[in-house]
Amino acid sequence: MSYKGKLFRYKNPYDLEGSKDLFLKAMQENCGYQYENCKTYREIMDRCGFCPADLKKYDDIEKIPFVPTLYFKHNEMFSMKSYRMPVKVTSSGTSGKKSSMGFNVGSLYRGLRMVLRVGKYHGLFSLKPSHYIIFGYEPNRNNKVVFSKTAYGFTYFAPALSRDYALKYTKDGYVPDLDSLKKKLIKYSKSKFPVRTIGFPAYTYFLLKQMKEEGLKITLPKGSVITLGGGWKQFYAQKVAKQEFYALVKEILGIDESHIFEFFGAAEHPILYTDCRCHHFHVPVYGRVIIRDVDTLEPVKNGQVGLINLLTPMVDSVPILSIMTDDLGILHSEGCECGEKSPWLEILGRVGIKDIITCAAGADKVLNGGE
Amino acid sequence: MILAHGEIIDTSVEAAYLDKMYENCVATLNKDRVLSVQKVINACDILYKRAMNGEYDELAIPLLTMANISYERFISMARLFSREELEYKCKIELGEGYNSLDSLKNGTRRMLRPLGILFHIAAGNVDGLPAYSVIEGLLAGNINILKLPASDNGLSVTLLSELIKIEPDIKDYIYVFDVPSTEIVTLKRFAHIADAVVVWGGDEAVEAAKNMTDTKTKIIAWGHKLSFAYVTTNAKDEELANLAFHICETNQVLCSSCQGIFVDTQDEEELRRVGLHFFELLKEANKKCGKTDIGMRGKNTIRLYNDRLEGRKDWHILNEDGVSVIIKQDSELELSYMFRSLWIKKLPREQIIGNLKKHKGHLQTCGLLCSDTEKEQLVNMLSKAGLVRITGGHMSRMYPGEAHDGCYPLREYSRIVEID
Repeated sequence: MSYKGKLFRYKNPYDLEGSKDLFLKAMQENCGYQYENCKTYREIMDRCGFCPADLKKYDDIEKIPFVPTLYFKHNEMFSMKSYRMPVKVTSSGTSGKKSSMGFNVGSLYRGLRMVLRVGKYHGLFSLKPSHYIIFGYEPNRNNKVVFSKTAYGFTYFAPALSRDYALKYTKDGYVPDLDSLKKKLIKYSKSKFPVRTIGFPAYTYFLLKQMKEEGLKITLPKGSVITLGGGWKQFYAQKVAKQEFYALVKEILGIDESHIFEFFGAAEHPILYTDCRCHHFHVPVYGRVIIRDVDTLEPVKNGQVGLINLLTPMVDSVPILSIMTDDLGILHSEGCECGEKSPWLEILGRVGIKDIITCAAGADKVLNGGE
Repeated sequence: MILAHGEIIDTSVEAAYLDKMYENCVATLNKDRVLSVQKVINACDILYKRAMNGEYDELAIPLLTMANISYERFISMARLFSREELEYKCKIELGEGYNSLDSLKNGTRRMLRPLGILFHIAAGNVDGLPAYSVIEGLLAGNINILKLPASDNGLSVTLLSELIKIEPDIKDYIYVFDVPSTEIVTLKRFAHIADAVVVWGGDEAVEAAKNMTDTKTKIIAWGHKLSFAYVTTNAKDEELANLAFHICETNQVLCSSCQGIFVDTQDEEELRRVGLHFFELLKEANKKCGKTDIGMRGKNTIRLYNDRLEGRKDWHILNEDGVSVIIKQDSELELSYMFRSLWIKKLPREQIIGNLKKHKGHLQTCGLLCSDTEKEQLVNMLSKAGLVRITGGHMSRMYPGEAHDGCYPLREYSRIVEID
């Protein structure tokens, strides 16, 4: 079995220290594969004066040339023929541009092993049939956005009785429909089957706020779970403190904080980060996080703010073994009350102020025919 | 939220106000008295003095911090509301004796009169700008309907309410509505009532304003602009340092902010030399101003790293300490990455007009850094190309009486009436 395969079968999903050697070997394997099979990434490595043989010891992983997510938005890079990638996704394109990714069977299989392991570790599986409320896009044939696929995938954590979506697909495209979700929640609160909500925190938050204003309070059946993922998207400016959110969930839906899970992942880094009971994203064995200085891109010490660089050997079909996100974050290694030794990643949000309005920028938009 | 007749009213009764808008405006116009410019100036002057006394600090300081504007700059902006500056503005824009124009030689009398009703569609990029737009409308004697920008933080309504408290005569001349840009029907009703639509914002906003207006209504557009510096080999170091400071101070987000430098040369080596020298000055200015926002620095670092990966061989990228200079081979005017990142390109003087003329409506300020002997020739060329402000290194400095994008707003908001 390949080292990648072994890494994704690793028993304790948060044993970073113990998996170091295996992680290095899997990265060497992937790095060599990308060098041989992806011409564009090979050129990048050559230009950076790096070759797979330079990956000798664990600390060398920080030398692997990282590719910004921005690069994937401008350029398609594949290391395999298209027919070998049964799943193709695009990132959700918060800032308008999207990147395309494709996954081969081997990568998907490793992803599945990871989801099963992590899901089991966090007690996310249940045999009890559940109603799913999805604060995201209803899938349709034309929707390749990674989030809708992921959200749909999560509806297999427990057998699905029903699936209702916040963004309904109509002939005019996607239309938000929080009202019908609200009615469904009220209906399901009287059911004996638990409810699982999945999706964008912002939509979940707005629905709960709306219910609060209308004086609606329900108690969802025992075993109900709130799962959040997909980031705060366009609502970044109205980002609420997590504690406020948890309190609202308790007040309106009667669900304890311990039944709220948040996930983090990206099309360019399909590693499942799940928060612990202290709501920290511990780094799982399948990936590593390097925080880099915003000016020099050199790695910074744990505890310092910088750009989030994510590494994983999971995928063969695209060279995403080391990607640079456009998020700022901190890697914490001061320990966590949950007892997990693995450091945890705090995501502070996207770099730059997306909504900044400048008069100069407005003129440029026109010069370039709009973005 | 609505501000009408000096009172702040809940949006729920908006419809009732809308139905009576035209009637109310006509009633105001029917009054014998016209709005006295002196009363408007008086009220603004009192407002200015209160700002100087720090009475609005509680409201203003958080906004200044957010927008990264220094308190000194705020005070210099507040000064624009003082009696002295407003009287000067009226005189410069409308001409000496605008209150009593000379008759034509055949004896026909002339009067300067307001257009009547202005509908302001304000932009959100400068705090307090919506209020300033209304005050300009008032100075010309108009009734003003203001649509607040989505990002408004309440400063404009506060300023206008204060103004009405000081001078209650103004109250029938100000209506503020918090209508979203998507409520086209409501916006069309305002546009229909108005003699002119004053629109601030990008070309999209101007286009939208045109679409909601019939041909009888004048459109006065204050659009988005681009600015740059033009540097010859004779530029003084002190001025280059001022330019570097200006770039750090404004973070290049203003219409008048320098996006890049055109160098009067054909020579690659010369361009490189200017680029390297300016990079040093920029680093020094950056130290003086203190580093800019960590997120913006991160964003630019990633973009520059990405540019290198994408193999932009003809670019020479210099970056350090979160500031950058990109030496490029083309001569196109473009937006920089902003936040202390600029481009440097060749543009020999004989190509200025041909190269820039195509950007006509979008040109604003040029920081011209050259010797005294070169200045007149270059000013001539830049003005022919379409530039409307030619400054030194401090490109965003504000002087009382300055035109706005090459026009005088008070003239735009007025008309001449001739009486036999």
